[in-house]
Amino acid sequence: MEFPTQLLYPIDQVLLALMIFSIMFGMGSSLTVDDFKTVARYPRGILIGFLSQFGLMPLFAFGLAIVLELPPAYAIALILIGCLPGGTTSNMFAYFARGSVALSIAMTTASTVMALMMMPLLLELYTAGFTEAVSEEMIAAGADAEFVIPTGNIIASLVLVLVPVAMGMFLRAKSRVWAKTAEDTAGFMGIIVIIYLIGTAFARHSGLMLQTPGSIYIAAICVGLLGFLFGYWMSWLFRLSPIFQRAISLETGIQNGPIAFAIILLSFAEPVQSQMLWLAILYSTFIVITSSFITLYYRRVGKLDYEVYKNTSIHNRLFGEDYVTGYPEGFLPKRIKNDPSQGSTPSQKRD
Amino acid sequence: MDNRILANNMADLYREAARRYKSLPAFATRKKEQEWDPISYEVLYERGLNLATGLIEMGVDAREHVGLFADNRFEWILADCAVQLCGAADVPRGRDITDGELVYIINHAEIRVTFVENEALLKRIDGLRPELPELQEIILLESTADTPEGVHKLEDVIKLGQSLRKQGDTSAEERIAGIQPDDLFTLIYTSGTTGKPKGVMLTHANMMSQVKVIPIELNCTDRVLSILPIWHIFERVFEVFTISCGVCTYYSNIRSLADDLKNVEPTFMGSAPRLWESLYHKIRKRVGESHWMRQLLFHTAYFLSRQYMNSLYFLSGSDLKLKSVSKLKRTLLLPLHALRWILVLPVYGFFNVAVLEPVRLSAGGSLKATISGGGALPVEIDRFFNYIGIPVLEGYGMTETSPVIAVREEDDIVIGTVGPLVDHTEVRIVDLESGKTIYPNPELPDKGRGLRGEIHVKGPQVMKGYFKDDELTAKTIQGGWLRTGDLGMITFNDCLKILGRSKSTVVLLSGENLEPEPIEMRLTQSVYIDHCILVGQDKKHVGALIVPSLEGFKYNGMQVPTLEELAKNENAHKVIRAEIKKMISVTNGFKSFELVKDFRLLSEDFTVGDELTSLFKMKRHIIHDKYSGLIEEMYQQESAEVT
Repeated sequence: MEFPTQLLYPIDQVLLALMIFSIMFGMGSSLTVDDFKTVARYPRGILIGFLSQFGLMPLFAFGLAIVLELPPAYAIALILIGCLPGGTTSNMFAYFARGSVALSIAMTTASTVMALMMMPLLLELYTAGFTEAVSEEMIAAGADAEFVIPTGNIIASLVLVLVPVAMGMFLRAKSRVWAKTAEDTAGFMGIIVIIYLIGTAFARHSGLMLQTPGSIYIAAICVGLLGFLFGYWMSWLFRLSPIFQRAISLETGIQNGPIAFAIILLSFAEPVQSQMLWLAILYSTFIVITSSFITLYYRRVGKLDYEVYKNTSIHNRLFGEDYVTGYPEGFLPKRIKNDPSQGSTPSQKRD
Repeated sequence: MDNRILANNMADLYREAARRYKSLPAFATRKKEQEWDPISYEVLYERGLNLATGLIEMGVDAREHVGLFADNRFEWILADCAVQLCGAADVPRGRDITDGELVYIINHAEIRVTFVENEALLKRIDGLRPELPELQEIILLESTADTPEGVHKLEDVIKLGQSLRKQGDTSAEERIAGIQPDDLFTLIYTSGTTGKPKGVMLTHANMMSQVKVIPIELNCTDRVLSILPIWHIFERVFEVFTISCGVCTYYSNIRSLADDLKNVEPTFMGSAPRLWESLYHKIRKRVGESHWMRQLLFHTAYFLSRQYMNSLYFLSGSDLKLKSVSKLKRTLLLPLHALRWILVLPVYGFFNVAVLEPVRLSAGGSLKATISGGGALPVEIDRFFNYIGIPVLEGYGMTETSPVIAVREEDDIVIGTVGPLVDHTEVRIVDLESGKTIYPNPELPDKGRGLRGEIHVKGPQVMKGYFKDDELTAKTIQGGWLRTGDLGMITFNDCLKILGRSKSTVVLLSGENLEPEPIEMRLTQSVYIDHCILVGQDKKHVGALIVPSLEGFKYNGMQVPTLEELAKNENAHKVIRAEIKKMISVTNGFKSFELVKDFRLLSEDFTVGDELTSLFKMKRHIIHDKYSGLIEEMYQQESAEVT
C-alpha cells in the first residue's frame, strides 16, 4: 500500500508537537512526589502491572504482527505501541471503571520511568526480523543505507517527552490551583487537536481508510483488547482484588499514544514514517472507543465490590482503624470475602 | 438485588433488622469531623428491648401515646424503637415546638409519659406543668445533663429493664406479639400551614406498605446523610426504609453539612428543596469564581449535557407531556432526537467525565441519587442537578399519607412532575367547581389526562384519621378517598404534576383565580430574593412581600449590613422592581392578571417555627396576619407600581 501524499502536513506536525507537549505537561501537572511513594505501597500490583505492560503487551504486538503478516513498517509501529508506557488517560478510565486510581497512577509513574530502559531493549528484541525486511525493501528501491532502529534517537525522544512532564510537576509543586487549571486546559487542548487531526486525516485520506487492509485494523484494535483481557486474567491469577484487576487491565491496554507520535516523528524517516504514524492514529482512535466500552462493562460488574470497598474504607476512616464491618451472611461474593484489600486496614481481614 | 425487610409492624422490623444485619452500623453520630460513633442493629434492638421493658414497668400500656420531644439524635431512634417494642405509639415533635403547641399536644394526645431531649426543654415543660394535669413521667434523653428530681435518666430506665429481663421478664415480647396492623405506630401533629395542630393517626400497616412500595434500591453498602427533622414524616419514612435495607444513617446538621458531605460521602440523601437550592447556588458561585477556562469548560459541558439529556428524555418517553401530541409528530421528531443524541454522545461523554464529574464530587462524593420532598423543587434547580448527572427523585406526599403518594423512579425521570404513583395507590383528579371526577374519566379524551383539579388519593398509606376529630376526618376522607387539598394533573406519560395548593389560591377582586406558588418560585430564583409571598386576596391586583437577600446584594457589589437598611434602600427597590419585571412578564408565559404590580421589602427574615415550617414552607396565614398592616398600606398607596 502506497501513500499518495504525505500523511501529515507541516501545520499538522506543529499541532501534533503542541498536543504532545500539552498532554505531557498536563500529565506532569497531575503528578506529585507522593505518587512516586505510592509505587512503594503497591509492590505486588506494580510488579504484576510491570509484567503485563512490558512482558505481555510487546509479545502480543509481535504475535499479531506475525500472525496477521503485517508489512514490516506496520509491524514495527505495532511493536513500538506494545512497548509504550501507560498514560494519564488510563487513570481517568480506571476511575470510572471503579478501579484503583492510586494503583493506576502508580503504574503510570513507574512505567514511564522504566520505559527509558525497557523500550530500547524490547524494540531491539522484537523488531530484528522486521528491520531486515525494511532494509531489503529499501535496497530494492535503490537506497544505499540499511534500516536500523534508531535506539539512541528513541531514548532521546523519550527524554525530550519527559521534559514537559517535569515542568508540569514543577508547576504542581509550586501552585496546586494553577496546576489543576493547566491539567484541564491541556486535556481540553489535547482533545481538540486530536479531533482535528483525526478529522483532517480521515477527510484528506478517506481513500486511505479504504485502502488499508483489514489486517491492519484488526491489529490496531486487538492489541489493546488483548491487553485488557490478559491484564485482567493475569492479575486474577495472582489473586489481586477486583479493583486492582480493573486498574491493571486498563493500564495494560491503554498506552501513552502521544509518546508514540513523538518517537515516530523524531526518530523515524520516510518511507516508514507515514505508515507508522497511520497505525498510531488508528490505535489511538480505536483505543478510546474500546476502553469506553470496557469501562462501562467494568463499571457494571464492579458495582458491588467497589461499593463494599468504599463503604468499608469510610467505616475505618470514621469509626476507627480497628473497626470491622460485619456484612450479613451471603452478602459478599466469595472473591472479595476474605480480601484484606477490601478495607484500608489489616483489621478488616475477616474469617 | 432487592433485599429490603418486609415486616408486619415496626417492632417486627426492628427485630428482623437486628437478626439480619447484626453488627452492621445502623446509625452514626458525629463526635468530631473524622470521628463518628456507630451503633449496630443488634445493639439498637438490645437496648430498645431493655428500654421497652423499663417503660412497661413504669406503666406504659399497649397503644398508649408516648411523647417524644427531641431533634435528630441516636437516642430518638432508641426511644422510638422502645415505644414500638412495647406496643405503644409515639407523638414526636422537635425542640422548636412552641409552648402553646406543647400544651395542646400533650393534653390532646393524652400523654402520660414523655421523652424530652434536654434540660432547656425540660425547664419549659416544668414551667407549663400546671397546664398539663395528666403528664406523669418524664425521661431525659441527654445523658450529660443533671436530672432534677422526678425526672428519669434514659440510662436508668434502660438499666431497670435490663435487670428485669435478666430475671426472665418477657413482657416486651408479649407486647410485640399483640400488635395489630391497624394499631397506631405514631401520632404526628402537623404544624401545618393553616389552623391548629391536627393529630394524624398513622398505623403500622400504613408504614409497612410504604416500605414495600418505595421504588429505590439500597443495600448495606449505602450511606445516608440525615439532615431533615426526624419527627417529620418524610424523614421518618426514609429512616424506616433505610433500616429495612440495612443502610447506615449518619446524623448531620446544617452547620456541619458541607464537611459531612465530604467525610461520609453519602450515596443517597433526602432533603427539602431548600437544601438543593443552596447547594445549587454554591456550585454556581464556585463556577463563577473559577478560572475563565474552567468556566468555559463547565458551560460547554452543561450545554452538551442539556442537549444530550433532552434527547434522551424524548427517546425514552420521559419528556414532560402536558398536552396530547399526535403520534405523527412524535414519529417525525424521533429521528431528529436520535440524530442529536448520537452526535452529542461522544463529546458529551468526554465532558461528562472530565468536567461534570468533579462538579458532582464537590456536591458530595458518591451520591447515586437524591430525593426531594416536603415542597416543590424549582424547575431550574431540578434541571440543573439532573443535567449534571445527579438524578433528583422528586416525590409528593403529605403526613396524612405517611407520606409517599408518587415519586420519580431513577431510570424514568420526568422533570416537572413528581413521577408515577407508587404501587397500590390510586389517584383521582376532581374538578374544584363541579366536584366531578375528571381523571380517570372514560368520557373525556385521554381519560382526562392533562386536566387540572384537586388530587384525591386512595391506598394503603392513607391515615386512619385525625385523632379525636371525627368531623374533620369525615370531611377529609370520603369513601376511602383522601382530599389532599393540592391541585394537580396526570400527564400523558402517567406522571403526577403538582400545580399548587388549592387552599393557597388567591382570588382577586376581578374573580380571577391565581396560583401563587409558580410565581413565587420563579421570583425566588433571583439572587436578590430570599423569600417571596404573593398577596392580593379580594384586591385589584397581585402584590408581593419580599425578603431580599443580603448575600445576593453583597455578591453583586451592594454592601448593606442589615435587612432593615436594605428594606429602606432606594437602589434595592429599583433592582428588585427590575427583577420582577424581567421574571414575571406576559412574554414569559404569565397571564396579565398574574403580573406582580406592587411589592414591599421586609426588614426581617422568615424564621423556621415562626413564618416557616420546619421544611421551609411558608405558613401563609401567619405571614398574612403578621404583615396585615403592611399589606393594607400597600394597597392604599398606588405610587410604587411596577408597570
